[in-house]
Amino acid sequence: MTKSSITYDLIIIVSLMAMLLVSPAYAVDGTALLKQIDRNLNPESYEMYRKLINIEPDGSKKEFTLFSVKKGADKVAALFLAPASEKGRSTLRLGDNMWLYIPNVGKPIRITSLQSVVGGVFNNADILQLDYAAEYNVEKTEETGNEYLLHLKAKTKTVAYDRIRLWADKNKKLPVKIECLTEANMLIKTLYFKDVKEFGGGIARPSVIETDSPLYKGYKSVMIYANIKKRDFKDEVFTLIFMPNIESLR
Amino acid sequence: MIKTAITFCFCLLLIVCCLRSVSFAEEYKFDISEIEKKPYHLGGYIELSPSLSGLDRDASLYKLKFYNREEGSAIEEYNANLQLEGSYEKGISKLYIKTNTDYKKSYLGDSQKTMVYEGYLSLKPSSSLTVDIGKKTLKWGKGYAWNPVAFVDRPKNPDDPELSLEGFIVASADYIKSFSGPLKTVSFTPVIIPVYDHLNDTLGTKNRLNFAGRLYLLFYDTDIDFIFLSGGSRTTRYGVDFSRNITPSFEIHGEFAFINDYKKKFIDGSGNAYDSVYDAKSYLLGIRYLTEKDTTYIFEYYHNGTGFTVDEMNDYFPYIDNGYNTYLSTGNDSALKRASSLTEGNYGRMNPMKDYLYLRISQKEPFDILYLTPSITGICNINDSSFSLSPELLYTGITNLELRLRMTFIAGERYSEYGEKQNNYRTEFRARYYF
Repeated sequence: MTKSSITYDLIIIVSLMAMLLVSPAYAVDGTALLKQIDRNLNPESYEMYRKLINIEPDGSKKEFTLFSVKKGADKVAALFLAPASEKGRSTLRLGDNMWLYIPNVGKPIRITSLQSVVGGVFNNADILQLDYAAEYNVEKTEETGNEYLLHLKAKTKTVAYDRIRLWADKNKKLPVKIECLTEANMLIKTLYFKDVKEFGGGIARPSVIETDSPLYKGYKSVMIYANIKKRDFKDEVFTLIFMPNIESLR
Repeated sequence: MIKTAITFCFCLLLIVCCLRSVSFAEEYKFDISEIEKKPYHLGGYIELSPSLSGLDRDASLYKLKFYNREEGSAIEEYNANLQLEGSYEKGISKLYIKTNTDYKKSYLGDSQKTMVYEGYLSLKPSSSLTVDIGKKTLKWGKGYAWNPVAFVDRPKNPDDPELSLEGFIVASADYIKSFSGPLKTVSFTPVIIPVYDHLNDTLGTKNRLNFAGRLYLLFYDTDIDFIFLSGGSRTTRYGVDFSRNITPSFEIHGEFAFINDYKKKFIDGSGNAYDSVYDAKSYLLGIRYLTEKDTTYIFEYYHNGTGFTVDEMNDYFPYIDNGYNTYLSTGNDSALKRASSLTEGNYGRMNPMKDYLYLRISQKEPFDILYLTPSITGICNINDSSFSLSPELLYTGITNLELRLRMTFIAGERYSEYGEKQNNYRTEFRARYYF
């Protein structure tokens, strides 16, 4: 082996190593990333408490406290604990089906994802949120500085928002901001994820979600999270007949 | 009196404005003590509702009710209502009670009535099984204004379908089973309803033990119920209902009830009483549609197989008129008293005729005014083309306070259902505070 051939080989090896170091190791798998974001937000099955605050342009507020339970990809239920006027109301979502139980009315009635049982900017789909990966396909993933930008498209016409733009923190793989859009790319609302907090059991996620909407100028709604715990439930909990009994799960 | 009522309403609105102005000083927080579960709960609401009703002095039902008194062209009423709810939980058991106290000040004087609407013991050995014993409402059916399959419930008021109702004393169970696949849920609810002296005696024939049941399925994203009632207090009846979202914002629902050997009591124009026994079929079809602008439409068609025909009502109303004329000329009110007893629970029940349409249009938060919901409700009797129309404003912007202003106008030809009601219009303001 001549000296020049050794030098030539070394140049090739060093060049290859340099190429490996400077180029991206792999393309981001958007679907896997979205599933990771879902799991980082919540365990697949859980119980949690939330407070919803609607804030009007003059600063006046209305607050709601909810106890929520979720199982698997498509079962979620929530019970209103406060205020007194809403206490005992419960909502149930099984995939695309949603119901509202009002104690005085005494039977569940079907509701839609675009309605809001609390008024304000959050609608029923926001309150009874399923995994994003269950409802959306990832069309495109971009990397911008410390964030990923995921362009999501609803899997079916029954999903509340046809398109979503989701900005996620690269390190934590948690959402930072979500824009909800119509099919014609009109902005319906923006969700801001804030104050990442340890909830125990390995759950660290934003504890506050703020939202505003060009459709409700000057109005703001806030969702504050507490006591998120991994918990398994029987399927029977997520049925119409069980809706008046969700309190018994607390 | 009316001035007092209006002043009261304005004072209330002023208080509301003051409450709003002091409610937004602090930052939002989530105190964990707010979600602590207690074994007991006490809550409910208190409600004040003054109303003014304009009387139709030519209407048959006005003559029936006011033939021996003079109340002018309008009557005022002042209602106060207290609904209390309490519960206590220990282990798998829960005691629940709901009482309703009504105080009314009207042209008839003061009256007060307290009733236990519900009161039962609930046992929940697992998430699949619940057993309830006591007084409770079952609220079967999918219709918003009417429920022909609600065989074990008191009839609800289509003008205010969300009002609480008094239950019956029953023993019932709910067994639920979930599956994967197109059939997602099955549940069965057997119910025992005893009817004896002072025990559910308004349900029908006494000294009978009645059985009812409901089989519920969530099948291909459609809620389906099969219902029956048997036992002798009422004739045997069967029902089926369904509800389904065609799109996220478009829901359809329906009910069908078959009542075996229904006995209809009616009179002819001379007051001769008749019974007619037949198998009655009642049904309802409805939709609920939400537009992109947050307008909700609820539309229902109801066929009441137990209802009266136009001809039967054309015998009933003239009978009252003739009785009234006899009273004016002779002072003899026996025909009117007889008509009054026939009206009770028969001709006088809510929507006593055959075919009705119901339409409610409500607009959530118009002009970005949060928590304000204006709506208008129309109920039309297709058989005689009479109708009622109720515009309404509902405001829920103050925590635990609900304010509602509603007017109802009714119209119809002579001897039509709404044309012969005692009122021409009714205005009601309702303030309800939850605690």
